[in-house]
Amino acid sequence: MTVAGRWCTRIVLTGVLPVVGLALLVAAICGVTWGWAAVAIGFMLVVMLQTRRLALLAAWIDGPQPADVPDSGGAWGEVFRKLSRKLRLDARALAEVESSLRSFSEAMDAVPDGLVVLTEQHQVEWANRAAGEHLGIRLPRDRGAIIQQLVRAPGFAEYLSGAAGQSPFFLQSAAARSRVYSLRAVPLGERNTLLVSLDVTDARRVEAMRSTFVANVSHELRTPLTVVSGFLEHFGDESAMSPEQRQQYARLMSEQTRRMLSLVDDLLTLSRLEAEDAPASEEDIDMADLLAQLRAEAESLSAGRHRLEVSCKGPGLRGNRNELHSAFGNLVSNAIRYTPAGGEIRIRWKLRAGVGVFSVRDSGVGIAAEHIPRLTERFYRVDRGRSRDTGGTGLGLAIVKHILLRHQAALVIDSQPGAGSNFRAEFPVWRLRPQLSTAAQADGEAEVPAGR
Amino acid sequence: MSDHLSKQFDLELENIRTRILQMGGLVERQVLAAVDAFSSGNLDEMQQVIGSDREVDALEVGIDEDCTLLIARRQPTARDLRLVMAISRIVTDLERVGDKASKIARMSQKLHQLGSQRIPRLSDVHHCGRLASDMLQGSLDSLARMDVDAARQVIGADKAIDAAFNAILRQLITYMMEDPRTISEALDIIWIAKAIERVGDHATNIAENVIYIVSGIDIRHSAVAASKTDEA
Repeated sequence: MTVAGRWCTRIVLTGVLPVVGLALLVAAICGVTWGWAAVAIGFMLVVMLQTRRLALLAAWIDGPQPADVPDSGGAWGEVFRKLSRKLRLDARALAEVESSLRSFSEAMDAVPDGLVVLTEQHQVEWANRAAGEHLGIRLPRDRGAIIQQLVRAPGFAEYLSGAAGQSPFFLQSAAARSRVYSLRAVPLGERNTLLVSLDVTDARRVEAMRSTFVANVSHELRTPLTVVSGFLEHFGDESAMSPEQRQQYARLMSEQTRRMLSLVDDLLTLSRLEAEDAPASEEDIDMADLLAQLRAEAESLSAGRHRLEVSCKGPGLRGNRNELHSAFGNLVSNAIRYTPAGGEIRIRWKLRAGVGVFSVRDSGVGIAAEHIPRLTERFYRVDRGRSRDTGGTGLGLAIVKHILLRHQAALVIDSQPGAGSNFRAEFPVWRLRPQLSTAAQADGEAEVPAGR
Repeated sequence: MSDHLSKQFDLELENIRTRILQMGGLVERQVLAAVDAFSSGNLDEMQQVIGSDREVDALEVGIDEDCTLLIARRQPTARDLRLVMAISRIVTDLERVGDKASKIARMSQKLHQLGSQRIPRLSDVHHCGRLASDMLQGSLDSLARMDVDAARQVIGADKAIDAAFNAILRQLITYMMEDPRTISEALDIIWIAKAIERVGDHATNIAENVIYIVSGIDIRHSAVAASKTDEA
């Protein structure tokens, strides 16, 4: 039997048959007229009943809850049950699609690159979270907005309408000024465009650092080379030079070559320090011994122009002696170079609050606050002219910083213009060797001023 | 935007909006570059700002013509009419902002060529310039999104710029009283600060126009805008 046929039978059985039966009964008892009346009333009742169920269905369909299917028997009951079953299945399928869509969009939000899907008219259709950070495009606020209206950087509109596959467009972000993004438009499907934004700030910075470094090195090498080559030209012309002059030129030339040598040495040291993470070998260093050595060097460098004071009250130190010697020596020679004659320089090693502190304090020219964070940059000079006069390569503090980093120590700089500077290297407690301190303390207890 | 029977009309309206925002992007860049160049003394950047002023002028003429043509051809009504009218006003504001940017650049150039630096390049000026360019950016964003709340925020921010301008003025007066030789330099810096302050005012105008487009209420010279200084 077909579905329609089954339904017809059902209607006949539940609707038509009772009414007709009732009517026949009434007709038999009260006469034909009453029989017809009963038919009319019976059908009216049936229609009213059906209408009520229809109204129930309409009410239920507005907010269908599978649990509260209107309770009606017969044909309507089956309709309700079928509908509710279908709704349940649909809801389950929808939930599945939703959850997979959610995990997909979560994945897209986790992508560090900004992604924006654009329609043919360059309207925003979809964007991930990174696009909000990079370009300020957030959904649902900006759905349907035209991208050139939101990303207004000059040249971007031309880039977007240009040929596909061209080199990326660089956007100086307006939201966070210091950042640079590279934007690339890729065709997506037949009509859409995918705009990918990449944060290239760091790459750009590294690039800039590399090129300034190369420029600095060439400049630093070129200056002495120019001097030397200038003198060499003179040397070709023998007659024009007295022996004294010749001697003087030779002296100046060897001075310049020494400068180049020390620059190259420093560069090599720096690149070696950068190449390895940790010192090749470590030993327990007797700090009293090291400080005595530093003092001897300082005295020869100062040649009696400064008052030197050295004190060693701290424990021994674990580390690479050569490297630390070079780092401390750098700090000391800086102090001597930047302190005018008659000034005072104090070199100390002591234990303070569990931290080993090597400090070099001078009464020199001092450094303005804005220069301090940049001092350890390569070739950074507070005063271009003077520091080269005093023979620095511009790499000293960069080397110091690297060496200290390898020893997990921090470089702290306190200074004020005119009030002198204090450079401190602070070593963590586990680098200290207290068993060596007795000898050191006995040595260092009596402060020996080396002034004249 | 609303749907019109004529798709072409929608397209024309959107095009005008895109073009004015493009012009806004150019002016935004100019202001930022001018303010940065003042602080850094980068002569190339100053020259670039002064040079791109012509481009802004050309855009102004072009967009104005588009507006006139659109009114003549389509006879827009209600919100569309407000949009076109407001855009032709915003164009003027943006062009003025461009003028201010090149004025800042020219003054910075002059200061640089003067050579003397008795007054340090006040970081307050730079800060004030950043505030102004933030406002400009905010007002253009609100135009792009037709966002009344964002527009109101821009209008509120103008107070901060006025305060920053007054602070700069006080500082410069101190310099001038201490040493009369700083006067000519101080006056130039005042011109720059004034130009920056005007950029903030133009940004406010743009934001007011956005509110006008969306809600149809003209809030110029009303209580919200009462703290504004008059057109110079």
